Amino acid sequence: MWDFFWRRLTGLIVVMALVATLVFFLTRLAPGDPAALMLGDQASAADIAALRAVYGLDQPVLVQFGLWLKEILKGNLGQSIFLQRPVTQALMERAEPTFFLALFSVLIAALIGIPAGIVSAVWRGRLVDQIVSALAMLSANIPSFWLGLLFIQFFAVKWHLFPVAGYGDPGAPLLERLRHLVLPATVLGLVNSALITRFTRASMLDILSEDFIRTARSKGLAEGVVIWRHAFGNALIPVITVVGLTAALLVGGAIVTETVFGLPGIGNLVVSAVLRRDYPVIQGALIVVAAIYVLINLVVDLIYAWVDPRVRAQ
Amino acid sequence: MEILVKRRHLLAATGLVALSTLMSPLKAEAQTSANLAMIGEPQSLDPMASTADLVSLIMQHVYEPLYTFDAQWGVKPMLAADMPKMSADGKTYAIDIRKGVKLHNGRELDAEDVVASLKRWLEMTPRGKSLSKSITSLSAKGTHSIEIVLSDVQPALLAHLALPSGFAGIMAKESIANPLVEFIGTGPYKFRERKPDQYVVLVKFDGYAARSEAASGYAGKREAKIDELRFIPVPNANTRVEGILAGQYHFADQLPVEANKKVSGSGNASGVLTMPYGFPYFPTNTKQGPMADLKIRQAFQMALNQEEILLAGFGDPKFFSLAAEHFPKGSPFFSDAGKDKYSKGDAAGAKKLLADAKYDGTPIRILNSKQYDFHHRMALVMAEQLKAAGFAVTLDVVDWATLVQRRADPAAWDIYITHSAFLPEPMLSPPQLGDGAPGWWKTPAKDAALSAFNAEPDAAKRGQLWGKVQQVVYDEVPYIRAGNFAALSGLSNQMKGYAPMPWPSFWNVSLSK
Repeated sequence: MWDFFWRRLTGLIVVMALVATLVFFLTRLAPGDPAALMLGDQASAADIAALRAVYGLDQPVLVQFGLWLKEILKGNLGQSIFLQRPVTQALMERAEPTFFLALFSVLIAALIGIPAGIVSAVWRGRLVDQIVSALAMLSANIPSFWLGLLFIQFFAVKWHLFPVAGYGDPGAPLLERLRHLVLPATVLGLVNSALITRFTRASMLDILSEDFIRTARSKGLAEGVVIWRHAFGNALIPVITVVGLTAALLVGGAIVTETVFGLPGIGNLVVSAVLRRDYPVIQGALIVVAAIYVLINLVVDLIYAWVDPRVRAQ
Repeated sequence: MEILVKRRHLLAATGLVALSTLMSPLKAEAQTSANLAMIGEPQSLDPMASTADLVSLIMQHVYEPLYTFDAQWGVKPMLAADMPKMSADGKTYAIDIRKGVKLHNGRELDAEDVVASLKRWLEMTPRGKSLSKSITSLSAKGTHSIEIVLSDVQPALLAHLALPSGFAGIMAKESIANPLVEFIGTGPYKFRERKPDQYVVLVKFDGYAARSEAASGYAGKREAKIDELRFIPVPNANTRVEGILAGQYHFADQLPVEANKKVSGSGNASGVLTMPYGFPYFPTNTKQGPMADLKIRQAFQMALNQEEILLAGFGDPKFFSLAAEHFPKGSPFFSDAGKDKYSKGDAAGAKKLLADAKYDGTPIRILNSKQYDFHHRMALVMAEQLKAAGFAVTLDVVDWATLVQRRADPAAWDIYITHSAFLPEPMLSPPQLGDGAPGWWKTPAKDAALSAFNAEPDAAKRGQLWGKVQQVVYDEVPYIRAGNFAALSGLSNQMKGYAPMPWPSFWNVSLSK
């Protein structure tokens, strides 16, 4: 198990080094100048050049890369040009809504997707399967911004059940802040449940056609026991994968949903940083998101190994 | 058993404490709070570090200038006791500061604060830097007077000091630092808290010393009638619309014009127009490429039908107005000069000018951004009008950050689409009237007209001289001013006393229950 862990950890370090290089150079390839944007229309070329020098943007790109890498290795993600605060602080301030949004979205997606996938597989080809499959296709193809606006229109504007946007008034208690996540988490949960439904269904169908299931049934075990204990338990690995990947993607920030619902999360921060060309924030946020993504993948792999001894043996 | 019961009680008590912590606000609620949905996160809270309108909009509640504008865009005193005493040659300004004005830290404002703040403004802001070349000295004269001595006449000095953008706000001298960490001004609201991408909270300043004159525009009596102002960044325009309809926001800035009917028809909010809010304009590249040829620029001007362009940009004549004049009737700068060249929409005439110029068909690159929807829609119609007049046209659609960078390169564009807020003094906008702005307009006619205008201290004579500058702009086409446009804001029915101005302000505004 430890050997497995160390192998995966080495891979993780290589991936992060590649991500850091790509993130830096892709960010610099985009045209645009943060100093010109900061200073506005009235700024002279000399003002812009002076501000570029303050942030080291006048240095050759390779020098900038070297300096940035040196700081990254020390755990310093740099200073935001626009927000005038450390990138780490900016990310920490936005971690809470993004974390809870990802958590609730994945929970909702799993609570919808897994039972729907099981039902669909058990009653394969029946009306219920067709309805679940159609709904899954529909939710996979609905744009989240449109569904978000529709939810706002009905649940916030018409029925006043939930707030339209934001993350609570200043000093709002945690429950009030979480109330602001109900609509966006439901939207994301619905949209992401489709994939979980399809994977659960496919995995369950594979397992249900296995010999040991026939054996279990022939032994006279109750159908519920066959499905829950024997089939679902063995169908779990692909489902864990897809739930893990969904969680990882959402931690990276549900960019569109965060924008529509005005949530001060990491996705929103990245979008704003791109528009402002706030290089340290773009780079820092992407590095952290990539690290979380890779770590969640590592955790998913470890869960595999825990759930399935064959993975450990490999 | 008894132990078990006790443990349950203890658990229940702990649970209740935890629940009450989750449910209860961290601090006491203010009596009245206004939720104000803004178009984004302010670049900074230092009004001298950025010229962005959003920064000024928020921080004008915290900091006050020496002079400000009234509803007719006349310059009026704010922290200054009165209008300045000027020397006969127009180069020395003696300004008395109001007595009894309290800073947010409780100390009384004095001339040292004003001098320190204005020095910072002259060093940090683009307009201040440009003006600083003409400042011979800036000094305190006693505790409540300052003196500004100029090397040359600067008739726009007070307008520069009054403009909220790149704001000459007066701050406590002990708070001055780079970057600012404390925001100590004299305004009716003081700074409490900023959570980036969530809110900026300002609270009523109980020690505020208001002027006695009636309120007009930004001038006169200011009173904080709402206890707490929350400026909330809501970049998605549709979310701002839905938020005002749902009652979550009391004010929503810059709504899409198509939302007007929806907001006004909702019964719990109304659409408010600020007109004129600004003007779209199209700078031309006079340095390089086809537009460097005056005749081709004139053909461009002749080809445009501004009504069609503005209609494409703003959808409904309610939201724009055709205006050949750069300043409206009633302004000292109103002039008809060049009117005959405005919005001709004359494709045949433009073709003739192109033939005279021996235009070789090099495509005209119209640099524009979809980040401002109306820019792009105007560019589409402009392109068709130019094609009809015989121009070859390429639309370069980029994001705003790219446009800002690319327009600084004379090899990268021929025309770009932008806009400016309506400003009451010609020398405040557009930057093409100065030196070195994208377009690089520099001709003897420009220099002559602007030198005469800028050297004239008499307000009435300046008005006449502006007409000559306007005429040169129409003759040489360094930019084309399309007309005026309005901004649409959403206002909750609870909010009373709001007076629309380009930088919305919330003093003298109250909330009904």
